[in-house]
Amino acid sequence: MIQTLLIMWRETLEAALIVGILLTYLGRSGERAGVRWVWLGAGAAVAAALASAAASRGAIAMLDPDTQEVLQAAILFVAVGVLSWMIVWMNRNARAIRGELHEKADRALAGGRLVGLATIAFVAVFREGVETVLFLWGVVLERASLAVMPLLVAGIGGGLLAVATAWLFFRGFSFLSLPTFFRVTGVLLVFVAAGLLASGVNKLIALDYLPPIVPQVWNTSWLVRDGSAVGAVLGALMGYRSRPSLLEVLVFVAYFPPMLWALRRRVSSPPSSRAPHTAAPSAA
Amino acid sequence: MRFQLAVAALLLSGAALARADDLTVPLAVHDGGFAPAQIKTPTGAKIRLDVTNQTAAAIEFESFELNRERVVQPGQKVAVYLSGLSPGRYEFFDDFHPERKGVLIVE
Repeated sequence: MIQTLLIMWRETLEAALIVGILLTYLGRSGERAGVRWVWLGAGAAVAAALASAAASRGAIAMLDPDTQEVLQAAILFVAVGVLSWMIVWMNRNARAIRGELHEKADRALAGGRLVGLATIAFVAVFREGVETVLFLWGVVLERASLAVMPLLVAGIGGGLLAVATAWLFFRGFSFLSLPTFFRVTGVLLVFVAAGLLASGVNKLIALDYLPPIVPQVWNTSWLVRDGSAVGAVLGALMGYRSRPSLLEVLVFVAYFPPMLWALRRRVSSPPSSRAPHTAAPSAA
Repeated sequence: MRFQLAVAALLLSGAALARADDLTVPLAVHDGGFAPAQIKTPTGAKIRLDVTNQTAAAIEFESFELNRERVVQPGQKVAVYLSGLSPGRYEFFDDFHPERKGVLIVE
């Protein structure tokens, strides 16, 4: 039972943390519509995960396992693209909020960004959701008796525990001042994106579509074990693995320079362009 | 577009070529665990683990040491590639049923 709870905790944690970052950010910047769209994306993903697990002997089974895996990697890369775009926007937005605190209520998110937020929430939840459903379905299949109930309860409890973990994690953030808070969530999301990119690459390496170059660059399992609570949180937030391949490390590191460049580029332009007409709401 | 296609074709053909001399290791998952639970391979070999799920529920082949994880549906066979491993013991398990464990020994 404890085992079922722990497995579910780990499977749900990543989704809970990513959705948690988005919700906390949007909540603190007063973007009500954004909050709704994140929930919409997350809810749609739960439904899609249930549907795809139910159909896994039908429609999805038509795709061979490797094609499914390539598809998952592709979804990850698309998510990294959307997330990067959102991070750049959020960074600019954060500065606009600092500049025009009283106009917060007037600020509205453009449609494309709402879809972007919903997409990230969808991918984060769907990715782990399919595995979660398959795992729980297995629990039901393997114990065709009443003994299954406590296990299901433990499983759902594990999921709730992950949500609670994410909530606690971001509770700590509420003590940060608004500028610091925006900076910290921004940095966290850049790590999330780099981690997603590396895990997409990991899938392609395991499929032999990409070479690992060096299978294990280092081993930090003495410091943080992959299966531990800290390892699970770091894994969820930045794709932590104790023994990454060189290609994964290179891809992870390579994500930062262009991202920092995109963030810096925005730093210099808005203040000068906004200064002459302060009353106009930011174009963001 | 043409460039992307060329790159994709190159990657795929490279993968296809490499597959010819892989060391294929069958690894079945039964209700009782992995069979075989211990695998020995020579250093430097490019290994293709053919993980077959012979149970009625989904499993997740996972190994922290090998940096691999892959869900395998009931009745499915999935190939997990490993290359350039240094000599040593690499443990793996079924993340959905952690009592099922095995080890890959490279020597």
